[in-house]
Amino acid sequence: MNYGVPQEQDWDTLSDAAFRAVVRAEVEAHHPAELRYPPRRLRWAENKSWYLRMAAKGWIAPGWPREYGGMGLSASKLLIFLEEMERWGIARFQDHGILMVGPILMRFGTEAQRRRYLPPILACEEIWCQGYSEPNAGSDLANLRTEAKLDGDAFIINGQKTWTTLAHDSTHMIVLARTDKEAKKQSGISFLMLDLKTPGVTVRPIRDLAGHDEFCEVFFDNVRTPATNLVGKLNQGWTVAKSQLGFERIHIGSPKLPEYGLQVLLSVARARGVEHDALFRDRLAQLQLDVAHLGDIYAHFAAIVGRGEALGPEVSLLKIWATETFQRIADLIIETAGEFGGLTGKVQMADGRIEVLAPFYKARPTSIYGGSNEIQRNILARQVLNLPG
Amino acid sequence: MSDDTLRMLRDSAADFATLDGARVRRLRGTDPGFERDRWREMGDMGWLGVLIPEAHGGLGLDLGAAVTIAEQLGRALYPEPYSASAVLATLALLHGDNAALKQTLLPRLASGEIVAGLAWQGERGGLDPDQCSVKLRESNGAQQLEGSSRFVSPAAADGYIVAARAAQGLELHWIARSAPGLACEPEARADGSASALLRFEAVGVSADTRVASPAAASAALRLALDHATLSTSAELFGLMDCTLEMTLDYLRTRVQFGKPIGSFQALQHRAVDMYMQKEMTRATLGAAVSSVLDPACTGEQRAVAASSAKARASQAALAICKEALQMHGAIGYTDEYDLGLYFNRALVLSASLGNASAHRSRYASLAALP
Ligand SMILES: Cc1cc2nc3c(=O)[nH]c(=O)nc-3n(C[C@H](O)[C@H](O)[C@H](O)COP(=O)(O)OP(=O)(O)OC[C@H]3O[C@@H](n4cnc5c(N)ncnc54)[C@H](O)[C@@H]3O)c2cc1C
Repeated sequence: MNYGVPQEQDWDTLSDAAFRAVVRAEVEAHHPAELRYPPRRLRWAENKSWYLRMAAKGWIAPGWPREYGGMGLSASKLLIFLEEMERWGIARFQDHGILMVGPILMRFGTEAQRRRYLPPILACEEIWCQGYSEPNAGSDLANLRTEAKLDGDAFIINGQKTWTTLAHDSTHMIVLARTDKEAKKQSGISFLMLDLKTPGVTVRPIRDLAGHDEFCEVFFDNVRTPATNLVGKLNQGWTVAKSQLGFERIHIGSPKLPEYGLQVLLSVARARGVEHDALFRDRLAQLQLDVAHLGDIYAHFAAIVGRGEALGPEVSLLKIWATETFQRIADLIIETAGEFGGLTGKVQMADGRIEVLAPFYKARPTSIYGGSNEIQRNILARQVLNLPG
Repeated sequence: MSDDTLRMLRDSAADFATLDGARVRRLRGTDPGFERDRWREMGDMGWLGVLIPEAHGGLGLDLGAAVTIAEQLGRALYPEPYSASAVLATLALLHGDNAALKQTLLPRLASGEIVAGLAWQGERGGLDPDQCSVKLRESNGAQQLEGSSRFVSPAAADGYIVAARAAQGLELHWIARSAPGLACEPEARADGSASALLRFEAVGVSADTRVASPAAASAALRLALDHATLSTSAELFGLMDCTLEMTLDYLRTRVQFGKPIGSFQALQHRAVDMYMQKEMTRATLGAAVSSVLDPACTGEQRAVAASSAKARASQAALAICKEALQMHGAIGYTDEYDLGLYFNRALVLSASLGNASAHRSRYASLAALP
């Protein structure tokens, strides 16, 4: 079966430099200038023109194997691909389908599920969001209460998810739901796929403190999803979800956001005329090294993934380092901005317009989502350092 | 001023000014961004006149009273421009040398009839009042203001006291918002309030508008700025104290893994760090206010005290708010939850009148090396 658009060539036969040139040429020629370096997450209506183009070209899933319609890139080529997107300031879209759902279906899904769901993900016709967290199940995710009861050929879902990023832009959701109330926490949970247009689903956007509507509450009132939308075995959802946590950490651990922060920092420093100040140079160099070294360790973990090996608990350090580096950069931006650090939106500074607070607002929640940094430190302390629990 | 007076003032401010999150949210992004009625009530309570002599309709109290009120307003996140108008602009006028203007404006400021702003920073910002970029020019015998001033708070004042460079030195002038040639461009701040970029094009001034002559202007401006810096630090203190309280409540009640999250030592130690930052701020602020109240305090000592307090308060408030957000998890990142209001106000107040870094460098340039 052909899942997506066939690739123009086997990218791995190109040298790294040649591959980089191909990607760069594509991006520079076609990416809309007005979408570069957006200060917040773009809504689908805003950036879909670019991603539909990438989909049509067969470039939407650079990390997927070719047999499933991806570009089949090796770890080093994937890194180059992501670097080039970053270099041009290309923002993510609501890409849970590519990052999570696809890989999960390749590993745990049935052939029928792959045939049904992978092609529309590759075509960006179906957009996925992640329905894990609930009001009382955040760090303690296994405490989730949303229930799914098997009733004939469907599960009936009742309950609530929250903090679901861009649910209002999504057509589908992966839902962790309790299917056995008697079992101990982790063992009674199943992994379901749900069409958000199903009757009984209510999506309510939540405004965040930066003034954006990026995440949502999602309510389920007797929502039916076909029993064939169960991924993996019944009550084995925890294993399915957990298998992707390492990849999520790698993703949040990429140098992308810190690099964006450094760019804003430099523009602010130039506008304030301190870019040559000795004290500033020293602090900048510290942060530049923090980001460069993040790139090194990111490449190390990406290579493990590229070899098809499992990521160990050490990957938590990547998530912590990336997010806290980004936060330190955002802090220095505010400090360097002086009085400008209180202004919101695009601010006229010297001869440019800079969104001074955007990195700060973006950086703060990075240590909360994707497993809070406290939880990551607990993992490192217990599972890597083997300290007593 | 007696301790009793202070206590009464604090209690009345604490009773009157409680957090009304709905009001704070409703006023964001509006013009003027605060309530005139509330402002007049604040005048009725005497708060706006604490620094104004009784002869001009005020209470004739001192900085101790002003910071007491500011702290309570900081707790309640009042968007009314207390430090900007009742401290900064009011003191610049009071310490100027135009008796007639004091006679007409001070009673109206004390009663809350008018709101005033002080325009002193150039477009690039900066703490040095001598760097203001508005100039006073002579044109055919008439005197005019030219140039621009930024970060003027509140954006929608009834009038502004404008620092301008004249041939003989600095002067301060009272310019009504409606003055011909004055353009006011509001700029949105993180908490939903606005500061203004004011542009002056041949704005006419005269001896009548002159709040302070070169003989008095620089000293008046510096005194007003240092006092307002301390009152802003007090607002920050009130705000961080509430933020910490809110966070401690949350640590006690939010349960994950079958326990209150406050039972996790990783969070306990950091809560203690927040508490320490807050207490350091309280102590520093108290010491700074005492040294400014000492009749022997020189202008330079006053500036050192103001910078030391604001550097600490700005840094501590941001640190506490960031930790508070982290410890709340996602709910802290929502606009529905009041923490975000504190967080965004902390961003604004810590940046205004000089952020921690600006005050550290002013401190370094003023305080003698041991
Ligand atoms: C911007 C944003 C986007 C998000 N998008 C999604 C999404 O798309 N889908 C989804 O399912 N979820 C999403 N989330 C939710 C996210 O996964 C949770 O916020 C996260 O798991 C933390 O849970 P919580 O917010 O309930 O905080 P809590 O778990 O209540 O934690 C509160 C504080 O306690 C700390 N804590 C908890 N347990 C311990 C412990 N054992 N030791 C030490 N400290 C501890 C935490 O680290 C945190 O500082 C998003 C969150 C944010 C902020």
